[in-house]
Amino acid sequence: MSVDTLPKARQRYRWREARIALLFVLPCLLLFIAFRFGPAVAGGVLSFTDYTIGADTNWIGLENLRRLNEDPLFWRALRTTLTIALLAVPLSILMSLGMALLVRRAFRGSKLFRSIFFLPVITSLVLAGIVFTWIFSEGGPWTSVMGWLGFADRAWLSDTTLVIPAIVIVAVWGRFGFGMLILLARLQDVPRELEEAALADGAGAWQRFRYIILPELKPALFFLAVIETTFSFQIFDTVYVMTGGGPANSSYVLVYQLYDQAFRYFDFGYASAIGLALFVMTFIVAMIQRLTLGRER
Amino acid sequence: MTSAALGAVMLASACGGDDGGGANTGSAEPGEVEGSVTMWTYPVIADETEHRNFWDDTIAAFGEEYPNVDVEVEIFPWADRDQALSTAIAGNSAPDVVYMIPDQLPGYARNIEPIDGYLDDDAKADYLPNAIEAVTIDGEMTAAPILASAVTLTCNKEVFDDVGQSEYPETWDDLREMAPEFKDAGYDMFAYSGDVSQTLNLTFYPLLWQAGGDVFNDDGSEVTFNSEAGVEALTFLQEMVDGGYVSEDMLTSNPPVEQTKLAQGEVACEWHSEGKNLVEFWGEENTVILPPLTNAEQIAYGTVGSLAMLSSADDKDAAGAWISFVTEAERAAEYDEASGFLPVKESTGSLYEGDPLLGEAEKYVDLTTVGPLTEEAREVMGVLAPEIQAVLIGEKEPQQALDDAAAAAEAVVR
Repeated sequence: MSVDTLPKARQRYRWREARIALLFVLPCLLLFIAFRFGPAVAGGVLSFTDYTIGADTNWIGLENLRRLNEDPLFWRALRTTLTIALLAVPLSILMSLGMALLVRRAFRGSKLFRSIFFLPVITSLVLAGIVFTWIFSEGGPWTSVMGWLGFADRAWLSDTTLVIPAIVIVAVWGRFGFGMLILLARLQDVPRELEEAALADGAGAWQRFRYIILPELKPALFFLAVIETTFSFQIFDTVYVMTGGGPANSSYVLVYQLYDQAFRYFDFGYASAIGLALFVMTFIVAMIQRLTLGRER
Repeated sequence: MTSAALGAVMLASACGGDDGGGANTGSAEPGEVEGSVTMWTYPVIADETEHRNFWDDTIAAFGEEYPNVDVEVEIFPWADRDQALSTAIAGNSAPDVVYMIPDQLPGYARNIEPIDGYLDDDAKADYLPNAIEAVTIDGEMTAAPILASAVTLTCNKEVFDDVGQSEYPETWDDLREMAPEFKDAGYDMFAYSGDVSQTLNLTFYPLLWQAGGDVFNDDGSEVTFNSEAGVEALTFLQEMVDGGYVSEDMLTSNPPVEQTKLAQGEVACEWHSEGKNLVEFWGEENTVILPPLTNAEQIAYGTVGSLAMLSSADDKDAAGAWISFVTEAERAAEYDEASGFLPVKESTGSLYEGDPLLGEAEKYVDLTTVGPLTEEAREVMGVLAPEIQAVLIGEKEPQQALDDAAAAAEAVVR
């Protein structure tokens, strides 16, 4: 074998390997293009049209975006969505982290606890929303407990101020199990000898967490921050079931407005513009998170 | 609509067959009509088996007259029916015929084949005027009515007996006068379903109409609900809520009906659902159907259920023949009786004479309206309903709330 033929043979081998890999990935890639990427691009294009059912579609340029800018309901829905995200994302991550640390070590029943904590993730949020509607209703358990604790005995979902915390509670309840699982997996990779060495050197629990565990968790926390932010921006089902966007639009979120415009008023062009705004917003926040949380990865 | 306008509508309806683009089945013999028809409908008859049997029998009877037409009737849940239908239309998989109420018709008008040309003149002339009016957009019948309802005032006799009140309210002033007495006895005077998912046709609009106002001006080019009448209606509602005379459990949310004070017999009256729906909670002997409330006007909401043909239907003659067959007076009356709705044909006369519930409701059909028939009606409700909620929870005053809603509606109606 000559010196020249070796790299060529290797290249051919690599190319063959790549083709086989592509063959395996292809079905998934096609599905992704058909059901994710394609509709996303189509939605982006629709946002520059006046598309509605059964009528001619016209290219209207930036008209829908101009309308968004002048729509007070859009700005209100945006504020509400951001408020929910600002409350739910840190709370969900903190809750996930706390639970992951609690069930990290094996103890009697730890697997049971992990399963129980994960249960809300696989529970339908629509069903959970119905149950939570009752829990937060006038005379419901939550309202009663708040009454015993000296707070006003009023239905949270009928109060323009308390309705957002109620939705955040349900959102965090439904998500922390997923975050716990991600962090738990990462925690398994934290070298035990490092912690033991720190312990031998007299490091306290906080110091071990701050200087050993937290740096190891950073990639997972970045991932969670992005996922939870996206989830919070897309919140809809619990709001739809629990409040219908009320009272007086105080829990009306962006995806709810998108849904209304598309499926109640059939204004698909405007609904797509809301979707586009949501995408841009999510993208910007993810980039900011990447520049801050993700930079030391 | 004035009688002159109604006359024009009737004339347009009668002439529809001649200029309907050649799709009129009037000249075709039943044996010559061919094709297949798919119809989507919803649980108009609550009992699924009974409903299915009705359509199977109707399809069989139709098949005898039209042997070359295949009909399939699919019954879907009420929930999310617009999403399913709009998606089907967008995906070119829409049915040929679909059950619709007037509230839906303007939104789908572009996708609907006018039905005038497929109904014979006698059938059209037999319709009650308000039934024709309810499905007519731009002078054309968009659908063939098959049933009607009258959602008037319903009161709980047991509550009235317990309070010792022998008279039922007829006007807003009656409600105002009676309310403190009912409150003292531990009852709410009425329930108001203020959840934004609830159509205002059943909740606020009856008050607006009773005050002499309307949602839109005559040509639908601007909203008028923030008129003096609108403020009077919302002020009345606010006054009753602030007085503690209205059930709080339904003001901003829509709990399952069995969990409400209304179903639990703690409320005297309501006007947002048909009285027959309360029988299972109150008992037939306690469910009293009353005329619509009166203020400046005496008026209530009533729907008209109809069958519309979508313009995407491949076999329009067959679909038209099916709609004509199903909405024929005798067959429609069978459907109305089975479903507990009211007839829409003059020739049917009274279907429920002597019936304490439907017999009473039947008397007031003439005092009902189906609500605004403009494409923007639903979106206007979308901006108005939260503002009404804001008043009910004490965040805004009626005039401010209605003006804010009107300002938001401007962008919708333009």
